[in-house]
Amino acid sequence: MNSAQIEIQLIASLVAIACAIPGTFLVLRKMAMISDAISHAILPGLVVGFFITQDLNSPLLILLAALTGLITVILVEQIQKTGLVKEDTAIGLVFPALFSIGVLLISKNANDVHLDIDAVLLGELAFAPFDRLFIGGTDVGPKSLWVIGTILTITIGLLIAFFKELKVSTFDAGLSASLGFSPVVIHYGLMSVASVTTVGAFDAVGAILVVALMIAPAATAYLLTTDLKRMLLLSIFFGLFSAIAGYWMAHALDASIAGSITTILGLLFLMVYLFAPSNGIIAVLYKEKQQRIEVSLLTFLLHLKNHSEKRERHVNHLREHINWQKVRAKTVLELALKNNMIVINNDIVSLTKKGDKFTTQAIDYIITNEDAQIEGMKDDFFLFRG
Amino acid sequence: MKKIIILLLVTVTFNCKDSKRDNGKLNIVTTTTMISDLVQNIGGDNINLEGLMGSGVDPHLYKASEGDVTKLVNADIIFYNGLHLEGKLVEVFEKMESAHKTPVALSDAIDKRTLIGSEYFASNYDPHVWFNIAYFKLFAQKVARVLSEKDPKNANSYKQNETKYLEQLDILETTIKATIATLPQEKRILVTAHDAFSYFGKNYAFEVVGLQGLSTATEAGVQDVQELAAFIIEKEVKAVFIESSVPKRTIEALQAAVNSKGYAIEIGGTLYSDALGNNGTPEGTYIGMFEYNVNTIVNALK
Repeated sequence: MNSAQIEIQLIASLVAIACAIPGTFLVLRKMAMISDAISHAILPGLVVGFFITQDLNSPLLILLAALTGLITVILVEQIQKTGLVKEDTAIGLVFPALFSIGVLLISKNANDVHLDIDAVLLGELAFAPFDRLFIGGTDVGPKSLWVIGTILTITIGLLIAFFKELKVSTFDAGLSASLGFSPVVIHYGLMSVASVTTVGAFDAVGAILVVALMIAPAATAYLLTTDLKRMLLLSIFFGLFSAIAGYWMAHALDASIAGSITTILGLLFLMVYLFAPSNGIIAVLYKEKQQRIEVSLLTFLLHLKNHSEKRERHVNHLREHINWQKVRAKTVLELALKNNMIVINNDIVSLTKKGDKFTTQAIDYIITNEDAQIEGMKDDFFLFRG
Repeated sequence: MKKIIILLLVTVTFNCKDSKRDNGKLNIVTTTTMISDLVQNIGGDNINLEGLMGSGVDPHLYKASEGDVTKLVNADIIFYNGLHLEGKLVEVFEKMESAHKTPVALSDAIDKRTLIGSEYFASNYDPHVWFNIAYFKLFAQKVARVLSEKDPKNANSYKQNETKYLEQLDILETTIKATIATLPQEKRILVTAHDAFSYFGKNYAFEVVGLQGLSTATEAGVQDVQELAAFIIEKEVKAVFIESSVPKRTIEALQAAVNSKGYAIEIGGTLYSDALGNNGTPEGTYIGMFEYNVNTIVNALK
């Protein structure tokens, strides 16, 4: 591994962390798309900054771009406040307008500078190590490493200083206001950080990857936990993992690095979406199936309780009378047996004491319209679930 | 956390000056396939050559891959076309000067006043200079000069290769002129996907019309297609051409537009404009590519 390769991974990792932190709050506040809006809307800020300074490396560019990012947020909120359009519509109205102003400014006045749309949206991680920073003639590493490092340090500092405020205002704006920290200030603070991060990272990794790194890790983490601290840590972990794994995928395929990182982010989300222990698709499907069988079981037990005549309690009757298929009847019967709810003598099914108690209680709940209680009761009675 | 970052930064900074030449040969990186072919001809076995763009890659739309990073890290000299052909890459190359690498814009060898300028911007020139063999000869001389400076012990070999290659280019020029002479002046109208053949047209008295602009990144509008279709019918052009590195759908749209006006036009074949053909085929070299293009054009328009 040569130094450029290490530097690329280092830059990608720092960007991943710097994005995951504001990203987590954006996802929790259901404002994920605002990062996309900011990433496009910063263009006019960059262009104007360039016209003033004539220097692509001036910090004024970052400042002005971050400012346009904030303007985007304010405009979105003002339009949304009218109540005439929804938030996503407001976002969709604001950022294309700002972005196109940027495009027009470039195409009219600065056609041959590097400020093209492609550069803004797709920056090139592969070349980041070659744009180096010199202090007093000594090479101190790639420029973007320092830019991102600075932004990350500030972000972490702000996160630690305002963690409580961020937490409260994210989950309960009313409480936050009554406790004395204005949710508006926190909101704009967060948006400024998101804005600055997007601007700082766009040159190195491009806006698309910034959006992906803000949203995907946080969205993935949100599937796994609802605890804020844990979600932050998980987002950072997923971001880091994708940055490094994506880099090596690009290495193996000799492909675009940003493209590979984004692919890994997508795959990671898909895996968690499918396999998350409690909210994953597979877990949910499994739970649904379990519930269906348990409902069948309850129906079956109620049937047994209502009928003392042998004809109604014959094993084969289940299929005829309750109109179940063979497989389902067998599953339900076995589940009841395993849980000691029934006994079978000469193909005649009867409730055990435990089964009787369970059914009586369940009927009580159903009559008093407290169906939800049955779910809790299952924990007490069931040795095995469906 | 911060300690780790600082530690990494330190390692990064101190690692910067390793990984140079492996077998004593110069490591050369080139951009387009035309330049790769040229540098290979001059450098021969005395250099390690790595091209960034493969055959069929459009230099306007080139995207860097992970492998390109290593190629550039190890490079001693980078030969590129310049004149904005490689877009943003040029800026990256220029920054590399500080990292003890030598970026060489071959188009610097050409007197800018002789270039075809952009209609709109004074400092912008048509970058497709390799379609003027005289310019390509300047490229060859520049490559030989730079290689000799950086690697004096093989200077003789570079000089010999240069002389040999320049002779081949002279022969190419003669052959092409003879072929084109068989095509009457009024039939010399070249319609292609983008404006890559202006220098070619200027040299051999072709009227050149490109459907898209200079950069393939621009898209042709509906009106452009209709206007060009009218032009083709008026001038009774027999064929239009596809380019290997540009999607052919725009040219097919043009063909459909012409056909719908009741005039039959055929696609004369595929021309190599911004990239050479596959390695190992005749079109995989600059000379082979040029001959192939000229034969295709002349045969289709006759």
